Amino acid sequence: MDALIEKLKGQIIEQLNLAEVKPEDINPEAPLFGDGLGLDSIDALELIVLLEKYYGIKIQDPKDGKTIFQSVKTMAEYIKSQGKA
Amino acid sequence: MISAIGNNVQECFQSLAQSKTGIGKINHLSTRHKDDFVAGEVKLSNEQLAQLVGDANPALNRNSYLAMLAAKEAVVHSGIKPNDGKRTGVISSTTVAGMGKTELYYKNLLEDAEHLYVLDTHDCGDSTERIADYLGNVDYVTTISTACSSAANAIMLGSRMIKHGLLDRAIVGGVDALSKFTFNGFNTLMILDKEWCKPFDENRKGLNLGEGAAFLVIEGEQALKERGGKALAEVVGYSNTNDAHHQTASSPDGYGATLAIQQALEMSGLTPAEIDYINMHGTGTPNNDASESMATKTVFGNNVPKFSSTKAFTGHTLAAAASIEAVISVLSIQNDMIFPNLNFSTPITDTQLVPETELVKTPVNTVLSNSFGFGGNCSSLIFKKVKA
Amino acid sequence: MSKVYINGTGCISPQNTIDKQWFFESLAPAQEDYFNAIEPSYKEFIAPNLLRRMGRAIKMGVAAGNIALQEANVTQVDAIITGTGLGCFEDSERFLLALVNNDEQFLTPTSFIQSTHNTVGAQIGLIMKCHAYNYTYVHRGFSFESAMIDALMLFKEGKQKILIGGIEEHTPTYVQLIRKANKLQAPPHPIWASTSKGIQLSEGSTFFVLENQRTNSTLACLLDVQTLYKPKTSTDVLEKLHLFLKSHRLDISQIDVCVMGFSGDVDFDKILQELLPTIKQSSSVVAFKNACGEYHTASAFALYTASKIIKHQIIPDTLAIENKKPTEIKYTLIINQYLGINYSFTLLSNC
Repeated sequence: MDALIEKLKGQIIEQLNLAEVKPEDINPEAPLFGDGLGLDSIDALELIVLLEKYYGIKIQDPKDGKTIFQSVKTMAEYIKSQGKA
Repeated sequence: MISAIGNNVQECFQSLAQSKTGIGKINHLSTRHKDDFVAGEVKLSNEQLAQLVGDANPALNRNSYLAMLAAKEAVVHSGIKPNDGKRTGVISSTTVAGMGKTELYYKNLLEDAEHLYVLDTHDCGDSTERIADYLGNVDYVTTISTACSSAANAIMLGSRMIKHGLLDRAIVGGVDALSKFTFNGFNTLMILDKEWCKPFDENRKGLNLGEGAAFLVIEGEQALKERGGKALAEVVGYSNTNDAHHQTASSPDGYGATLAIQQALEMSGLTPAEIDYINMHGTGTPNNDASESMATKTVFGNNVPKFSSTKAFTGHTLAAAASIEAVISVLSIQNDMIFPNLNFSTPITDTQLVPETELVKTPVNTVLSNSFGFGGNCSSLIFKKVKA
Repeated sequence: MSKVYINGTGCISPQNTIDKQWFFESLAPAQEDYFNAIEPSYKEFIAPNLLRRMGRAIKMGVAAGNIALQEANVTQVDAIITGTGLGCFEDSERFLLALVNNDEQFLTPTSFIQSTHNTVGAQIGLIMKCHAYNYTYVHRGFSFESAMIDALMLFKEGKQKILIGGIEEHTPTYVQLIRKANKLQAPPHPIWASTSKGIQLSEGSTFFVLENQRTNSTLACLLDVQTLYKPKTSTDVLEKLHLFLKSHRLDISQIDVCVMGFSGDVDFDKILQELLPTIKQSSSVVAFKNACGEYHTASAFALYTASKIIKHQIIPDTLAIENKKPTEIKYTLIINQYLGINYSFTLLSNC
């Protein structure tokens, strides 16, 4: 799980071009949207592609992103639950 | 006007009056998603379009064909004479421009001298200059690109330039052909409905893309009088504002849209109660229709005029949408008809607005037409019947 | 109508225009047959969470807009009008190549969203929370001219403060392709007497704050703009120029400085080369594309050049074709051409 979280952090930074952010700055339990990393709805769409590209997971309804992308940890758990990690 | 529902105004009118949508299986656009989605394609191949235009120049692309055909139809219909010494402008708009051809060749262009010409036809100005050269005797050309409100802004600019005495008349409108670029772009935003779009329905899932072009000839009163012409309708109000909320999404309260509608009304001197019909932007995306409904409620309160979105006929034709809908607004005024909002069954819970779902025959003296685009761009136009 | 005052400029170009003190003292040369813009450190102008998504055109546009607003000491405007021939080309190219290379799969929305032509105007509006009129013109060598014509109308309609700008960017692939199409050459010397074909492709972003009143930062007044589409001969252009000046009760001899859009391509410059002898009889003449290169909205750089010349009351040696050392620089006229198709006149005066 920890390895997956670390991998995800790197992928998120790259996908979202978060040049100012280092992996150790991201608390896996902190919210990705709003107060935490300050991501928005466009980033959510980018994260959906990230899941498809690296983990073969297709999300059909962007609304599902709300629960999956709460934090890096919830993302990792979701990937695990899909049997993709 | 050329669109999924017809190759000229008359054909489009027949489809509207018969509630016949033009949205269906993708036949002409070559994309790996062609079986996954429906779209509002013009029902002609590039070869057929070239024939109609009467020009086999390989540098012409689908965007130019559509623009040239629609502009020519408008000019012929208006009865204006190109050589009468009047100052004429061509004010067009597009978002996709020559991309439909660029995307076929760009990757290997360094080794492909034959198709290097796409560098000259890629930009938005290309189709406008093609129209100008096709019509001849044009004094002013320009092109606007403000995403899905583009053609409304072209109509507005033409009206203003005539008012300021810079032009006597203007051929105004917009064009967008389908391309893989726009198709995939909207797909990444996850706002395409795989089935027919359902504007203003609680269960709407997104928009259907369409393609087409529409142009209108607008003339100053003086020029019209001098040649003894008769206007089809009058442009009495317009406004452009910015939602300044988000790069792509509309604000939940529809602030920019509200401002645009209010300012256009104010300019027209009409009260909200005097609007007979609203041709909505109504794309069928959850976000647009919610936001536009809120703006409509804010301006019209509990007395919302009869309204519909005609995008379930044509698909969302992006830069062309506002001019296609301007032509539809004029048809509405000419024929005293309100065209239906197809595929609607359940009103949006929060706003409870119910569009017209059948063809309505009723006096239509005034039409408000809304168009909103990426970058928060909001435009509203008001057309009025000319007194006999 | 009261006059229209140019009260702030922001310019990102191949020259050191980011430095407010710079005034054409010496010119940076082209990279062989093209120019790159000298870009500022964007962190000063744009928040990092926005910056991470922006392509260069957007960054150049937002920054130059910001610089112009700062110089004019203006925080809100009644309209934002931009002109761009190719728009956000870097993002368009990125999305296009991703689409082709991955067979329409795994595409992400950011570059598509940013590729929309009105992104620069929209981003400025969004950052300023400006709900006013917001237009983007995308017509080749008329893109910036259309923005100016619109702005002049808006002032007549009662607007007081308007931000206008021209933005263009190129990419390494685009430069290569344009070279492949035999459209480029190293700059001829002097640029106004070229005998061979080819321009120096360039890029940049130039913004202006226009107001209906004079302030401490006023540089010049913008009087009028006219475009000419495909004039056939220099006689045509001269005739139109006479009429244009006559509408302001002026003739060519009253123009103190003429700023001319020689691009270094013998075919495109033909009409301007033919006009030059007539114009330099009575007016000083300067070039500007030897400084900024050629692009759809180079006329925005010409407006920057003309305003600075009026402000400083000096004709820079690096641009001068003919220097009559006028005692006062009152009327300045820009005659631009783009690819020998899009011609324009822009008239300025001191205030």
